Amino acid sequence: MVLSQKLHEAFKGTVERITGPRTVSAFKEKGVLSVSEFVLAGDNLVSKCPTWSWEAGEPNKRKSYLPADKQYLITRNVPCLRRAISVEEEYEAAGGEVLLDNDDNDGWLATHGKPKETKHDEEDNLPSMDTLEISKGQAIRSIPSYFGGEEEEDIPDMADFEGSDNLVENDPATLQPAYFVAHEPEDDNILRTRTYDVSITYDKYYQTPRVWLTGYDESRMPLQPELVLEDVSQDHAHKTVTIEDHPHLPGKHASVHPCRHGAVMKKIIDVLMSRGVEPEVDKYLFLFLKFMASVIPTIEYDYTMDFDLGSSSHC
Amino acid sequence: MAESPSTSSWPSSERAGKILQFAPFQSLVEDGFWRRLSSLKLDTLGIDQSPIPIIGFYAPCSHAQVSNHMTLLAESLPHDPTMWSSPSEMTRGNRNRCPVPGILYNTNTLESFHALDRESLLKMEAKKILEDICSGKVEEDSALLSRFLVISFADLKKWSFRYWFAFPALVLDPPATLLNLQPALEALNLEEVESLSAACNEWRNSSSTADVPFFLVSFTSSSHATVRPLKDWEACQVDGQKLLFGFYDPCHLPNNPGWPLRNFLAFISSRWNIEKVHFLCYREKHGLADLGLSLVGEALVSPPQAWRDPQCIPKAVGWELKRGKLASRTINLADSMDPERLAVSAA
Repeated sequence: MVLSQKLHEAFKGTVERITGPRTVSAFKEKGVLSVSEFVLAGDNLVSKCPTWSWEAGEPNKRKSYLPADKQYLITRNVPCLRRAISVEEEYEAAGGEVLLDNDDNDGWLATHGKPKETKHDEEDNLPSMDTLEISKGQAIRSIPSYFGGEEEEDIPDMADFEGSDNLVENDPATLQPAYFVAHEPEDDNILRTRTYDVSITYDKYYQTPRVWLTGYDESRMPLQPELVLEDVSQDHAHKTVTIEDHPHLPGKHASVHPCRHGAVMKKIIDVLMSRGVEPEVDKYLFLFLKFMASVIPTIEYDYTMDFDLGSSSHC
Repeated sequence: MAESPSTSSWPSSERAGKILQFAPFQSLVEDGFWRRLSSLKLDTLGIDQSPIPIIGFYAPCSHAQVSNHMTLLAESLPHDPTMWSSPSEMTRGNRNRCPVPGILYNTNTLESFHALDRESLLKMEAKKILEDICSGKVEEDSALLSRFLVISFADLKKWSFRYWFAFPALVLDPPATLLNLQPALEALNLEEVESLSAACNEWRNSSSTADVPFFLVSFTSSSHATVRPLKDWEACQVDGQKLLFGFYDPCHLPNNPGWPLRNFLAFISSRWNIEKVHFLCYREKHGLADLGLSLVGEALVSPPQAWRDPQCIPKAVGWELKRGKLASRTINLADSMDPERLAVSAA
């Protein structure tokens, strides 16, 4: 973590401690959520996409401004079949339009038919992205070293292989592991399935939701946060995705930094309104998760796409 | 043994069967579990090596490409050791985390980890499962069928944790014979499919049943499906009603049921004397019943006579494999737990 990022985190933590949570809605004006709007939008996400649940998390990390049993949202065991980095290479190789931002412009990407005009006229009072940049020195490890080096500390222990009287291999009713990989590609260039736990917390400072990623490799061992960056759109991997302490879970996790979330959500809301759709605040997380899909395009979490976004809907 | 009336309305499958093979349960442990174990060890347990009751969590498969896992979270361990006598009260489940009772043997040294008699530990848990089947406890708390155990050695100096899961399965001898297995969408008629989807979604949406992983599905002659708890079995014995034995299947494979069905079959055959069992491997997509992914199957099961003896120690299998080999796993959390390393990386 670079020093400037740490200073910013310390500042943010202090502001969070001394200021009260947002109580007045500024959803349409600023693209942000009050605490009660976050809970409302979370309830709606859980009801429409039941793979998401509210969780209470660690009792000693509980935020008093959120209900005790609705501290954050989580969906577990989400498959990630391909690395984002390889998808982008394929896209380029196929001659597709490259959706990378230019260097002098740190606006969010808007893929999936979202408005492209998000690039300009960003609000100047947003923190500079430079303060949030993770160290470029943390190069993403190559795939072979990831597979080969995974268990460097796990020296095979002969004692494990003793006592073969309860070997499952001898049991005809146990499906043998070969079956598990039979449909998996043999080619080592193709990565096997990783899974993610994706959680959404409320960021009191930015007054927006914030996405956190906890990754597991195909052997269900935790992925180092740096390896998680392989599953982040490469433009964001070195800019907006940082590795920090999770507010409710132990340890360091990769997170999409929320400093621009309000601004981008405001733009999405403006576009909807220009189309005559009056957005409703309980749909916020569906819009938000669709927006997040541009950052983590290969992590297949659930978010309903086929519904009306605003009050023009029939419900 | 007379065939139960509940199975008579199914079309009979006469073709020769093969051995029913189950996809083993897979474990996943969150960092938080090892962190809480470390503080328990340092603050409370000391050198006490008594087994610790833990809670594992799993859910039905919810994506066509990946199986679900038996997961240990920080909440799997009790915060307050005085509450260990009733661990299930501490940990509430929901539809995405069905609590399953487990037991943890954490040793103080690597030598004692290796010295553990894994075969007898496994048999001890299998015996508890058989006892709960015979006593009828399973009908009240079906998750007891998936009871599991973990052995571990926590090296708190190196922040390294060696561990090994076992998911005890009672071994049927001869093994269950598979007569038929196909997607529920094909095995059932259209009315049954629609009614079953609705009934399962209702079961999964109700907070009182969402985390109950084993259940009964009864179909009326007019194809109306009802999902009911195991203790309603007697009430389901109505002529002309088809009965399916359903369970939350963590497995995603199209041609094999997941591990929980093993002990469920043992339970159905020994508790209710049913030889030909029609089962439902319940799986989801986007959090809703997916009857294309879910499987309906038919198996011939005969429980060993020995199980009738209350002193019986049943044959069991279930130690988890690591890359196809019978071996323990190690996770090193020094990068995220060692204060020295944290200080260096923060500098």
